Amino acid sequence: MIKLEDVSYCYPQGGKEALSGVSLSVRPGECIFVTGPSGAGKTTLCMAAAGILEHEYGGKKGGRVTIRGRDVKEYPSLSDISGHVGMVFDDPEAQLIFTTVEEEILSALERRGLSPDEIEQRLASIMEITHLSALRERAPHALSGGQKQRVVLATTLALGTDILILDEPTAELDEQGTQSIVSVLKDLKAEGKTIILTEHKYSRFRDLADRLVVMEGGEIRASGPPDQLAAEESVRRIIIPDFSGIRDISVALPQRGSKPLISVQGLEHFYGDVPALRGVSLEVLPGEFIAIVGENGSGKTTLIKHFIGLLRPTRGTVTVDGKNAATAPVSELAHSVGLVFQNPDHMFFANTVAEEIKFGITNLGIPDPDKVLERVMEKTGLSHARDLYPRWLSRGERQRLAIACVLAMQPKVIVLDEPTTGLDGRESREIMEILTHLQRDGCAIVMVTHSRQIAEECTDRIITMEGGKIRSDITRER
Amino acid sequence: MSEILQYIHKDGLFHRMHPGTKIFLILVIGVLTILTLDIPLLCLILLAVLLLALAGKVLREVLQQMALILAMSVVFILITLITMPEGEVLGYLVPGGLLPVTTGALYAGILLTLRFAILIISFQVFVITTQPRDLVNTLEKAGIPIDYNLMFLIALRFIPTLQIEARRIHEAQLARGYAPGTGFIGRIRSVAPVMVPLVSNALSRATVLGLTIDMRGYRTRARTPFREERMNLLDRAVIVILAVILVAFLAGTILPSFGYSLG
Repeated sequence: MIKLEDVSYCYPQGGKEALSGVSLSVRPGECIFVTGPSGAGKTTLCMAAAGILEHEYGGKKGGRVTIRGRDVKEYPSLSDISGHVGMVFDDPEAQLIFTTVEEEILSALERRGLSPDEIEQRLASIMEITHLSALRERAPHALSGGQKQRVVLATTLALGTDILILDEPTAELDEQGTQSIVSVLKDLKAEGKTIILTEHKYSRFRDLADRLVVMEGGEIRASGPPDQLAAEESVRRIIIPDFSGIRDISVALPQRGSKPLISVQGLEHFYGDVPALRGVSLEVLPGEFIAIVGENGSGKTTLIKHFIGLLRPTRGTVTVDGKNAATAPVSELAHSVGLVFQNPDHMFFANTVAEEIKFGITNLGIPDPDKVLERVMEKTGLSHARDLYPRWLSRGERQRLAIACVLAMQPKVIVLDEPTTGLDGRESREIMEILTHLQRDGCAIVMVTHSRQIAEECTDRIITMEGGKIRSDITRER
Repeated sequence: MSEILQYIHKDGLFHRMHPGTKIFLILVIGVLTILTLDIPLLCLILLAVLLLALAGKVLREVLQQMALILAMSVVFILITLITMPEGEVLGYLVPGGLLPVTTGALYAGILLTLRFAILIISFQVFVITTQPRDLVNTLEKAGIPIDYNLMFLIALRFIPTLQIEARRIHEAQLARGYAPGTGFIGRIRSVAPVMVPLVSNALSRATVLGLTIDMRGYRTRARTPFREERMNLLDRAVIVILAVILVAFLAGTILPSFGYSLG
């Protein structure tokens, strides 16, 4: 179906080759799972296979790409190729153009020369396979990440192509969203679609993959049957995230009964009439490393926003470092609590990494700013990036910068919302290493995560939330 | 959070109307509003537009704009008072003879306010009662190039997304101890930390958005409509009534005024 022969590519900005000597032949009905660390060339591979590099990008190109036996150069334009290949990118938001789910899917169906009856039939069957029938009239901004990405997938299916290329379709999604995409892809594979899929989360997609392709540094390092390949040590290291030895058991657990940094009593929060938290009580002690887990909508993010006053209790009390978090201004609570949001790109506005970190230091009037800056950059491994533009850093570095910005304000508690979303195994490990170092320095850490593995291997205490309540709160023995 | 200019799914008068009819309606209202200098007539048109919004079941959404329109009217009247003092002096803004309040300036300010109010409200009623897809298809049929339609469509589509994102960015910066303060200085200071991430994130989406549009064949392939919107009896009746009003207005007020000025 798709064949890459000795494909090399260098982006117009220069730098080293993003792809070098890549050959890959995809058979009809096959599902190829491409993985590898960030920057390995996975996205570039997808764009080469979809003919995007040939038709939309400059730069140095070598080798040959054929789709259904025809060289991509021979297709007059990208829109002709899109009759054969559908592509899904990682950010669903940028792939939704219309204002309802139905309109979005119709926008693709109506451009295929079908009769109204056929359109209606296909619309119904596509919405069924992607589980979207109930969301027909909903606007994209009112959908969850997983639902949005399903709409993108549905619209791609509406093009009626036999080949699907998906570039990290679940990178921005939580556990539930990922699961829903996996289940749709399984059905599509059963229908006979040819699928090329790049992802970090190998374990989630294992049942789906016919062949595993491991990339590193723009080259294909290994390719073969998934189970056989995954057994090899060099491949294992790349595809299975490793958090062993991170949890520092030499650190003494905080004494029960010591003065809590955060104390939440009977906290309730309503968004309008909708209850989001229904009677939550917990204490965070100095030096604790806590994971908060739970499904989407269980109240995790709502809870942590109370720690810094971004949300105020409807009922109940929140005390942070002796301050009443129901009334104290956010800028005062920020002295005690540092909150790192899920998407680091929501905070960067300065021209250099150093300026970005200094923003918080200046806002809070922290003494000795230059020394703090140096120390924080060293702790987060960003000293080399001091004068770089924050948005040019890799995703892993941007996440570390987000932590550095908060760390510079010298909070006693660091609260993080899904800090490993979109990161590969090595980058996730780096984040966890930074956090355990902070714990050793005496910081308390509260981390919302959807990864059970990270919660279990890195933290001391796991709080599970469900329906706005704490279902279990387990401190682990050492 | 209220959503700005988003389609609302309801079963009102305008939801049943063909987009072409609605475009004709706002064009006629626009022509009347801009050409007339008659304040009672403008009040009448404003009343008619509000009644139409009521019939379209979107009056509540329209009334949410009133704060904006009132603020705008204050600014307009202040500007005309300062810049066009004409006619009889009714009093002074600053006691002691400074900044006279004149009838001419008041008239001009009220005229501007009414015009803007009518244009804003009618455009809002049109947009929130029309599925963006129907809107784009109608414009496409009317011969407007697809690229312009897409621009309009994408602008509407991303308003709520940007609203949500702006709020997240604001929260992220608050958590970094950022307190821009209130008032004018605060506003200025708050621009960079919120606007820079907002604009950068939006721009970073442009590549994927462009590729998506092209791969969907949206700009190149012909469209075979799934549900063809047809003009019904209501549409025809509305168009005839509007045509009569337009002709009567042009014949009755505008043309004679040209005639007099020429003579």
